[in-house]
Amino acid sequence: MSHDTDTRGPGDVGPGFMDATGVTVGEGIARYVIGFVLASALTAASFYVLDTSLIWGPGIPVALVVLAVAQIGVHLVFFLHITTAPDNTNNVLALAFGVLIVALVIGGSLWIMDHLNERMMPMQEIMQMHR
Amino acid sequence: MSATDTSFPRAADPYRVGHGRDWLSAGGRGGGYVHATGHGEGGPASRRVIVGYGFWIFLLSDIVMFSAFFAAHAVLQTATAGGPSGRELFNLESIALQTGCLLASSFTCGLSAVATEVRNQLWTQIGLLVTGLLGLAFLTLEARDFAGMIMQGAGPDRSAFLSSLFAVVGLHGLHVSAGLLWLGTMMAQVFVKGFRPDIMRRLVCFNLFWHALDIIWVALFTIVYLIGLGR
Amino acid sequence: MFGKLTWDAIPWDQPIPLVAGSVVVLIVLAILAWVVLKGYLPYLWREWITSVDHKRIGVMYTLLGVLMLLRGFIDAIMMRSQQALAFHAAGYLPPEHYNQIFSAHGTIMIFFAAMPIMIGLMNFAVPLQLGVRDVAFPTLNSTSFWLTATGALLVNISLVVGEFARTGWLVYPPLSELPYSPGVGVDYYLWALLISGVGTLMTGINFVTTILKIRAPGMSYLRMTIFCWTALASNLLIVAAFPVLTATLGMLALDRYLGFHFFSNDAGGNMMMFINLIWTWGHPEVYILVLPAFGIFSEVISTFSGKPLFNYRSMVAATMFICLVSYLVWMHHFFTMGAGADVNAFFGITTSIIAVGTGVKIYNWLFTMYGGRIRFTTPMLWSMGFLVTFTIGGMTGVLLAVPPADFVLHNSLFLVAHFHNVIIAGVVFGAFAGITYWFPKAFGFRLDEGWGKAAFWLSLLGFYVVFMPLYVAGLLGMTRRLQHYDVAEWRPWVLAAGVGIIIMICALACQVTQFVVSIRRRDELRDDTGDPWHGRSLEWATASPPPPFNFAVLPDVRGEEPYWEIKQRAMETQQLSPEPQYQPIEMPRNSPTGFITAFFCTMTGFALIWHIWWMVGLGLVAAYGVFVWFAWREVVEYVIPAEEVARLDRARRQARERWLAQHARASEPA
Repeated sequence: MSHDTDTRGPGDVGPGFMDATGVTVGEGIARYVIGFVLASALTAASFYVLDTSLIWGPGIPVALVVLAVAQIGVHLVFFLHITTAPDNTNNVLALAFGVLIVALVIGGSLWIMDHLNERMMPMQEIMQMHR
Repeated sequence: MSATDTSFPRAADPYRVGHGRDWLSAGGRGGGYVHATGHGEGGPASRRVIVGYGFWIFLLSDIVMFSAFFAAHAVLQTATAGGPSGRELFNLESIALQTGCLLASSFTCGLSAVATEVRNQLWTQIGLLVTGLLGLAFLTLEARDFAGMIMQGAGPDRSAFLSSLFAVVGLHGLHVSAGLLWLGTMMAQVFVKGFRPDIMRRLVCFNLFWHALDIIWVALFTIVYLIGLGR
Repeated sequence: MFGKLTWDAIPWDQPIPLVAGSVVVLIVLAILAWVVLKGYLPYLWREWITSVDHKRIGVMYTLLGVLMLLRGFIDAIMMRSQQALAFHAAGYLPPEHYNQIFSAHGTIMIFFAAMPIMIGLMNFAVPLQLGVRDVAFPTLNSTSFWLTATGALLVNISLVVGEFARTGWLVYPPLSELPYSPGVGVDYYLWALLISGVGTLMTGINFVTTILKIRAPGMSYLRMTIFCWTALASNLLIVAAFPVLTATLGMLALDRYLGFHFFSNDAGGNMMMFINLIWTWGHPEVYILVLPAFGIFSEVISTFSGKPLFNYRSMVAATMFICLVSYLVWMHHFFTMGAGADVNAFFGITTSIIAVGTGVKIYNWLFTMYGGRIRFTTPMLWSMGFLVTFTIGGMTGVLLAVPPADFVLHNSLFLVAHFHNVIIAGVVFGAFAGITYWFPKAFGFRLDEGWGKAAFWLSLLGFYVVFMPLYVAGLLGMTRRLQHYDVAEWRPWVLAAGVGIIIMICALACQVTQFVVSIRRRDELRDDTGDPWHGRSLEWATASPPPPFNFAVLPDVRGEEPYWEIKQRAMETQQLSPEPQYQPIEMPRNSPTGFITAFFCTMTGFALIWHIWWMVGLGLVAAYGVFVWFAWREVVEYVIPAEEVARLDRARRQARERWLAQHARASEPA
């Protein structure tokens, strides 16, 4: 537990550890370069899609979300070194739990508040009625 | 040893859940469960794994906090109250520049981590310095955008939409600022104390933090800015 | 210079808070003076305030929680007595004061009584049950505690300096927005909860990491005790829910401090978004509180029935099921918002479904008791009282889960009776069961059974006499938070509840007497074996109180009830396992980091409440300073030499050998 010694137990890695598979410097840099190139390409695509006529107008937000999810995936794999290997199970499970909660918070809030907006007069009009 | 090590007598407990009866005779510490990796059966994990995992959980909680702000923005983005909408306010060029800065800083942060792995003081410091400078550039651009909007009378007190915009983007900016303060102390620690295990653990955490900020930015520029522009 | 803070902030014209506040201040000063004069201060600083030992932190958490429970209970007495008097009359509490009291009651009971007690018990018992030496991040643990204490302190300062929120315990906007609550009450609420919320979040991170990454060798997931499982579920929920609370209260703070429009009436703000977000935290919070209590009941019922827990695996499954589904029910807190049928139906059904998980647990507890040789000790009585009472509370909860019924009962006293029914029976009974169960482990002597049982029976009776009439009053249409009323039909029920609170006061007196009597008779009640209840899990394997390192050698876990098996083997072979090779043990050093951080957080929080901006800046700079100073520490651990470990462990082994000799021929231990 001291800061002088730090054994690296076999078969269990924390998130962000590069040494899981024993990479060399070259491989390490290569991995970040690949990640950077992919992420840059996806970012550029996002900005490009915005004004393009290649995609049907109402589909653009969907395309943007797809690109963002892809880019987040690239970041997770190439920058945060999250893998599907068994030694990473705990990290991936925690991530899945986090993603589930995020989906519940955002999805649930939108669903509930949409109902409110549909079924109630806009706040502005209510306020005007009180005047 | 790997998780697929077959030397472990599986028959007694095929699913490795600890309910087989033969473990009593298996002998040794933990009755042979040291083979089941990743779940701590072999006793407490190493300090490095504990710290990394704890910080990972913190990052997830942080992302949950962001999700509440994203939810608020999603609900309030049409509530412009007669004020300007995103289409009138957003400066696509500046946003692209900010995105570039942050992405590049994530990349250089990763390169510094590679240098840290081989305990190269010079390149670690250079990597961290460039990361910090890019982060600073990002913050400056963002502050300029914010100042410009406030000058136009489109500050957070103008409408609920702008409140949510300033809050979610500002929260990310605050994280980047805190990250920069942390980065400064990390550079000093690496310089003074060298690559001690405790410093290495902190560097891993810092790397995770910085990459996570970039992930949040991806969600931010997509949902708040790009989709907001199309609205 | 001092922002909004002037001498007028002290309520000179209101005798009740002034007198109450002065008495509290005098008591605190007297205790401080006594501590200083007796020369206990260095001891307190060394052994408690700067301690990073999970057992010490657990005890301090529990103590804080019990003190705040008393404070919240005084609020409850005032509310019940006010309503008993205020029929066609004004009563003795003016409305603005009454509103502060019900707001403070809810805030204190949930955040500063229930949470600290549950977190305290988890702190104390989880590492022991996992067979390890400490939590993942000991200094962070200490910081968590002191941040919680900061929040409690700020809420209590509001008693004498300024005022507390008058908005109810969840500060619903737009009432809590600046135009309608211009005072500092809501600000006290916001900063107390934001600061202590960070502490709680760090506890959650700490315990998730501890339970998932630090366990004794051989302790697979399905060999952990149910209390560890419920602690895991509870802390996962903390990690998932508390950030949402921080975000929501942060948005309200932005509204109040910087003129944002998240929840305001004008400029497009949406108050229902606050209510949506706060309950996204609020419903998981209910399970954050009650899941550890479920774990305590599981331990207690299994121990005192002399049987392993019935259907351990279904208990684990039910725990994780509740953990997940508790994040899918929040909308039932505002059915009356007027969402459509599909939203209401979805959340009504998930709410009913979550009762299934709890039902599984109830049957498991019943079947654990079935055929067991039950010892009716105090913790067991609390558990059995819980089983009956909580089931009633659960039933009324399922009633409220039906949206049409909820439209009738929303914000009535029926609702108030329901949530007190589940929280008192679940969390408060669980807290007392846990405290009496683990008290001998923490201090080496038991609590007096006679006074404990008296406290239990009076609490149980008092609970029914207070809250069953409130169910009826609610069905008769009485809403919550009434300062006065003039409906004659409600009168008898309110008076009955008033009688109930007198019984509760007697119960409380018994609790206090129990502690006083037990401490005085500690030599008679002492237990030197470390296993006073004939327990089954690992915490009973070590001495009472446990040494700083908990276990001289980490236990080698080979089953679901490791200690029970060790004990059976010892009794069969008439000897303890061979003496191990003692090694020196490294333990984390004490650190004042937590206390100093909390000091500056208190300062910053107070400055923010009163708009003393220079002090805010100072606090933030100091916080960064503490961070850097902490990062620069060189020596973070100390070593307990092998001889010291051997000495402590041999003393424990001698006590165990005496115990073994006493039970040489008894097939069944006492």
